[in-house]
Amino acid sequence: MLRILLAGLVAAAALLAVDPSDVEHGRAIYRSNCAFCHGMTGLGGRGPNLVSGERKTDAEIKDIVRNGVPGSTMPAFDTMGDEQLNRLIAFLRHLQGTTDTTETVSGDPVKGKTVYERNGCPACHLVANQGAVYGPDLSRIGSSRSVAYLKESILEPSADIPADFEGVTVVTGDARRLTGIRINEDTFTVQVRLPSQAVRSFAKERVKEVIYPKESLMPAYKNMPADELENLLAYLKTLKTLPGQGAVRQAEGIR
Amino acid sequence: VRIVIALLAFVNTLPAQSVPYERIVNAAKEPHNWLTYWGDYDATRYRALDQINTSNVDFLRAEWMFQTGERGAFETVPLVIDGVMYFTVQEGKAYAVDAKSGRQIWEYKYPLAKDIKLCCGTINRGLAALGSRLFMVTPDACVVALDIRNGRQLWKAEMADYKGGYGATLAPLAVKDKIIVGVSGGEFGIRGFVDAYDAATGKRAWRFYTVPAKGEPGGDTWLADSWQRGGGATWMTGTYDPALNTLYWGVGNPGPDLFGKSRLGDNLYTSSLVALDADTGKLKWHYQFSPHDTHDWDACETPMLLDLNWQGKPRKLVVQANRNGFYYILDRVTGEFLTAKAFARQNWATGFDEKGRPIAKGDVDPTPEGNHICPGLAGAANWMAPSYSPQTGLFYFPVREQCDVYFSSPPEFVEGKPFWGSMFRGVTEEKEWGELRAMNPLDVKTAWSFRYYRAPWAGTVATSGGLVFAGDEDGYLMAFDARSGKLLWRFNTGNRLVTAPITYLVEGRQYVTIPSGGALITFALPEHSPTRP
Repeated sequence: MLRILLAGLVAAAALLAVDPSDVEHGRAIYRSNCAFCHGMTGLGGRGPNLVSGERKTDAEIKDIVRNGVPGSTMPAFDTMGDEQLNRLIAFLRHLQGTTDTTETVSGDPVKGKTVYERNGCPACHLVANQGAVYGPDLSRIGSSRSVAYLKESILEPSADIPADFEGVTVVTGDARRLTGIRINEDTFTVQVRLPSQAVRSFAKERVKEVIYPKESLMPAYKNMPADELENLLAYLKTLKTLPGQGAVRQAEGIR
Repeated sequence: VRIVIALLAFVNTLPAQSVPYERIVNAAKEPHNWLTYWGDYDATRYRALDQINTSNVDFLRAEWMFQTGERGAFETVPLVIDGVMYFTVQEGKAYAVDAKSGRQIWEYKYPLAKDIKLCCGTINRGLAALGSRLFMVTPDACVVALDIRNGRQLWKAEMADYKGGYGATLAPLAVKDKIIVGVSGGEFGIRGFVDAYDAATGKRAWRFYTVPAKGEPGGDTWLADSWQRGGGATWMTGTYDPALNTLYWGVGNPGPDLFGKSRLGDNLYTSSLVALDADTGKLKWHYQFSPHDTHDWDACETPMLLDLNWQGKPRKLVVQANRNGFYYILDRVTGEFLTAKAFARQNWATGFDEKGRPIAKGDVDPTPEGNHICPGLAGAANWMAPSYSPQTGLFYFPVREQCDVYFSSPPEFVEGKPFWGSMFRGVTEEKEWGELRAMNPLDVKTAWSFRYYRAPWAGTVATSGGLVFAGDEDGYLMAFDARSGKLLWRFNTGNRLVTAPITYLVEGRQYVTIPSGGALITFALPEHSPTRP
């Protein structure tokens, strides 16, 4: 018993005794690898809030960083070694210990679900394979985005458009304008998903023009009443199930 | 018995493939072959072949494919010698195939230990031929000689210990009786060099360290002992001027890549072009493109040798479109800086002083918070080969338009581990793009350009058929009218292109070859020319 207690104390002491240089090394690793999606201070962006969101264990963090999250934009940093990961975690714990913002949502998630449906969100988004394949899959959005980011995405969707969901307008030879999500593109062709969910491919030399709108294809819900917005956010924060298994992205390499 | 004797006699009368040095010197006179990595010593990548030309290139179609079964970057440039094609593949492999049909003649596999960690993966850019031998480097920094007839290994020489982060990826260069090679590992705290090996025995003939030691000329351009891990990899094949007996070799970035405070000084001869005596490896002159580089701007881009009229007088020039975004013209006899001009967006230099030293625009070093600098780390140019057509007088090269946010923090050195000094990331708010550009190599004016959707990693080849072949990042191999820039033909190979196409001729028929993904793809016109409707 004493031995167990002692072991516990030693472990606790080890936890407390974080080498400050590890935090500094971890900060450098974080800034160059993680800050782009999770923000310089970890409050989230294109990735979840790492500071005041759900706390993960060291083992869980290592698993996510090394292997990525299938079907999401979190890539696998499979070249990151154990020492680097430990330093990164030291810095994350440091961030978590020095920030007191906690994410709170005051709304009612059940009411939020009706707000979601009433506003026609399923016409473009998926939740657990229900809805449409057009905008981002929201099945896991509660885990993968901060409340602040979700709020911004509803009120001002053009503030940050994920690379996979940029819009494109193709002006065809007979002057029709077809707008949709840019699925893929190369020097000669562009593949577009239309709001009907159908995919169309165009040869650039056979169309009049290819236009890249700066605005998001998602309408801005600027006039949503505050209570409805809070309820909707509360609903979105409950969405945490993994979508169907997808491919894991690789962190971009270096030449 | 008589049959056996008859057979032996037959075998003995088969033309043995042999590439004496004189053939490489005169490679331009046998445009049907591709005898050395760049096609010839000058690296103009121009072939006097015009069967495929502006009037018929739209009929070009795939003739054969060779599937390697390997994944990853297929960066080889094949050699073609009298109807046989020789090329390398990742994982230490080499092949000889019939250049008309793609049918295999032999396979070579370098025995690579399974558990070793390599600096640079197992990519390889090709072979050198000399006499009746082929030469290749291996991922673990060795050089091997192969019998050109059956692919048997004849000797092996270790350049450096791979455990120290050394590797090798380039195609060797055969000069006289020597095989000139360089090393990779500029991200791993190595000390780079150019080596020469005796082609007959594999014995090292000379070594030129790209990072001088303390006390040697240039040693004072490194703070304290930083030269010991100074980088200066030599991972691309150089060029050679037989008349001057001079090698021109690009030197890579200093290490740690993005953190300069521990290696204050110019860090010679990193990010430089060095001119070496081919017999002794002695330095004749150097020019440093990026003094005290902190952006991973290796100078390993093609040092092309051109004899042109500079300001009205014939002059021996060496030109390079550098990773740092500038195109340079140097006198290749003296190393004199003649001019430089930006060919892509750059925000790090305001110009050059009279000696050709760049004048930095404020603080351009990476920072802990990130510094937005153009070009990005991968550079406005890289290993992708340019070409020059004497027919048009134009220089054809791929341009990469992309910037990065460069981060920096003090790195710790662990042998065999990356020695970066932090990281970089692309500026993804802005899409990268690229161009194939045709440029006057003297006044540096653009004649025409063709825009690519993404920044390219593929090179070019120009022909007397009035064509330029080039590739883009989405896998298209394309043929352009070399004069007008009009796109005449394209084919999607199905994988990003990361090397340059070649063209050759066997039994009266011209071919174009490009490696893509796991396949080597060869194109030709239909044997029975279709008539136009």
